[in-house]
Amino acid sequence: MIRLEGVSKSYKAGPMALNDINIDVERGEFVFLVGSSGSGKSTLLRLLLREERPDVGRIWVAGKDLGQLAPWKVPYFRRNIGVIFQDFRLLPNRTAFENVAFALEVIGKSKKTISVQVPQILDLVGLSDKMGRLPSELSGGEQQRVAIARAFVNRPLVLLADEPTGNLDPETTWGVMRLLERINRTGTTVVMATHDVGIVDSMRRRVIELDHGAIQRDQSRGIYGIGV
Amino acid sequence: MAISVEYVVKETAGNLWRNRLMSLAAVLTVAVSLSLVGAALLIKQGVSTATSQWQGGVQLLIFFNPNAPTSEKHSVAVQLKQMAEVKSFFYVDRAASYKEFKRLMANEPDLLNAVTQKQIPPSYRVVLKDPAEAPALGKIFAGQPGVKTTEYNFGAIKTMLDLSSIAQAVIIALALVLLLSATVLIFNVIRVGIFARRREVSVMKLVGATNWFIRIPFMLEGLTQGLVGAVVAAAGVLGLQSLFNYAINHFGVKLLSGFVVTSSDVIFTEIFVLAVGIIVGAGGSMIAVRRYLEV
Repeated sequence: MIRLEGVSKSYKAGPMALNDINIDVERGEFVFLVGSSGSGKSTLLRLLLREERPDVGRIWVAGKDLGQLAPWKVPYFRRNIGVIFQDFRLLPNRTAFENVAFALEVIGKSKKTISVQVPQILDLVGLSDKMGRLPSELSGGEQQRVAIARAFVNRPLVLLADEPTGNLDPETTWGVMRLLERINRTGTTVVMATHDVGIVDSMRRRVIELDHGAIQRDQSRGIYGIGV
Repeated sequence: MAISVEYVVKETAGNLWRNRLMSLAAVLTVAVSLSLVGAALLIKQGVSTATSQWQGGVQLLIFFNPNAPTSEKHSVAVQLKQMAEVKSFFYVDRAASYKEFKRLMANEPDLLNAVTQKQIPPSYRVVLKDPAEAPALGKIFAGQPGVKTTEYNFGAIKTMLDLSSIAQAVIIALALVLLLSATVLIFNVIRVGIFARRREVSVMKLVGATNWFIRIPFMLEGLTQGLVGAVVAAAGVLGLQSLFNYAINHFGVKLLSGFVVTSSDVIFTEIFVLAVGIIVGAGGSMIAVRRYLEV
């Protein structure tokens, strides 16, 4: 589902962000990306979304060779990828329903489809009673659920999560993690960058640790590790 | 992927309303600048009609009686050929003269209906080496058989041509400056709009909205501003035309009597004004979109 071969990426200022990365992620896997700030986790996620391109190396995501992907095809590629962030990135002046609907609207889905799919997905994330609330009227955990609903409404093949629980308290965090696990069980590949030792240690999924842009460790059923 | 018309209209209208003061400034600048462009074009067309008989450096007109025999015309031609002062001359027959007459008198349908082609005098148009010789030559031919009248009022015509080209140059220069500011204004309105909607734009990119889907509402916003300004200017051009006609009829300025702007001139001007409005609107927003909306 995701494959990186000899991928390196550097920015004008600073050291190499990623150095000769090789990763193979199977369909339906759940992968934690761990490592200190600046270890290259976010860069890696941006490469997978094709927000940026590597200096060298090749990347395949959801069957697409990102190096060969024409710019005009990138939006269509992204429809197969869901993304969530630490800061949720919801539109503040739109309700939970409208935030999810917006994602469908801008890829040209019909009103009818939207009116069926949005309540379904909001029900799935447990917010069917709060569809009309603005983000400011929702708790952090609920906002992240809306973001997950928006990312998952198109049933993407891959879900990328960049510190999705970074702003949440432990209890809410677990709610969000259970939701991600459920999504993962539907066959969606999940790649989650995180600092949360507790989650990684108790879920015992594959762990890839980055350090200064290089893979330090790639372990199935791993833990966060020591010295962090 | 079909882009829904409803979405695009809603977004464009929303953007315009959010930026309404800036949009108004852009629209008014487009309107003023294009009104000037339209005015310059009308003046150019009017002057060119009024002076059509004098085009190509013609300084002397010799009109014949409509039914003057060929021999009389021939004798004038022979004399013209022999004169050292004459640089060149050419004959304008009744049909061509009638066409010219119809254009000159476009504003006076009564006169047009009353006069037939048979009543129109054919003429020789003469280019002289020295325009100052025109009155003298005019007098020579005035009394000859078959000659109805001669005209050599070239000085006044030249003043009019000179004045109008100065006026046109000034107006066009002003209009260009204003058009440039209109483009910059539209560019800025769109840039502000993109900035105000950066969250939406980043979400759209994230969920895979196509570039055109993101761009079109912004481009339409600029296009609308250009077009609305142009429509205002087009209305202004129509007003200007009736003002010209009113001035000519009301004050009966002799020199301006041939200053006719025909409806085809006006249609051309209107189309030109609308096209420039669209170009300015689309251009300004295109630059903004290209610079600030790279995907």
